Amino acid sequence: MRVPRSLEVWKMGVVNYSEALKLQEKLTADRKIHKITDTLLSLQHPPTYTLGKRRTDHNLLVSEPELKAMGAELHYTQRGGDITFHGPHQAVLYPIISLRDVGLGARKYVENLELTMIELASLYGVQACAGQKGETGVWVGERKIGAIGVRISSGITSHGLAFNINPDLNYFKHIVPCGIADKEVTSLQKEAERVVPPEEVIHDQLIACFIRIFGYTDVISKDSASISSYNLEN
Amino acid sequence: MASKLWATKAASCLRISVFHRGFATVLKDLKYADSHEWVKVEGNSATVGITDHAQDHLGDVVYVELPEVGAAVKQGASFGAVESVKATSDINSPISGKVVEINKELHDSPGLVNASAYENGWIIKVEVNNSNELNSLMDSDQYAKFCEEEDAKH
Repeated sequence: MRVPRSLEVWKMGVVNYSEALKLQEKLTADRKIHKITDTLLSLQHPPTYTLGKRRTDHNLLVSEPELKAMGAELHYTQRGGDITFHGPHQAVLYPIISLRDVGLGARKYVENLELTMIELASLYGVQACAGQKGETGVWVGERKIGAIGVRISSGITSHGLAFNINPDLNYFKHIVPCGIADKEVTSLQKEAERVVPPEEVIHDQLIACFIRIFGYTDVISKDSASISSYNLEN
Repeated sequence: MASKLWATKAASCLRISVFHRGFATVLKDLKYADSHEWVKVEGNSATVGITDHAQDHLGDVVYVELPEVGAAVKQGASFGAVESVKATSDINSPISGKVVEINKELHDSPGLVNASAYENGWIIKVEVNNSNELNSLMDSDQYAKFCEEEDAKH
């Protein structure tokens, strides 16, 4: 018999990276003390480059001033993984969930994030697969369509996945994406045989895949009014 | 069948509990936290690492973030992190005290955490403040049961 599992989904539109990070920290702290249930943030970022805990900035091929001139930001984070780019037309999911409550370890959690993106791609006839050993992420042949970078603190997850719907792939030229040279980056629009629907539809489908793969039974969608009131209260 | 019996006999000689369900080993004589770290106490000196169950669930460790020697650690609080499969996971200390040694081998060979979770993959050595804290940790049987229950959740 399936244990009921609740998820709250926040659809947030475009959110500045620092704001999203601050929100995740608050939510993680609240989730740790059981003040809130598992929460999923669905959003996009303005052009932003991010580094993980290992600070692999040798994989950034331009200087920070040049980056700023392009209208992009650079952030150092505590997540796993190498350097990546986030920007418009890329779907980002940040699950703030308790792995202990569901008995998942990091490896299985990340596999499920990969499956979420693989399933979404398959809706458009795009055959994606998980990376080889050491190349966590989602690939279409030799081209990367989805990236993962996660932080787990006392069993609570933050950061998450980024799936390329149709971002400007030129931004990836300024980095060695995920530290893997000689491999291209791609997007759903580039790989699909037809024009993909509006992004809201894709975000919703990505969320639906996540819900199904992680086995949530009760899902509540939080609207922007209650999101603002959470921010004000805390 | 005969080899399973042999394994159980060998296991009890080596003071290891063998899981028949999974493959994670649990050592007797260690104490365990519910965040899957182990501690071996000898006098007021303790060695800390993560368990076989933990390393198996993490995947291949590619990086270990270690504290400085001399840093204070607190029971239940994070003192470092491991990275595997693009996930950084905090490591929490099972006891409070002061870090007296860190396992520098882990800089070049983070995989020791996977290959030898209880021996060469040790992470820090601590001068213990308060040995009473050990009472709130699990023994090997309790920990083995805890892992089974956690794994049964999905």
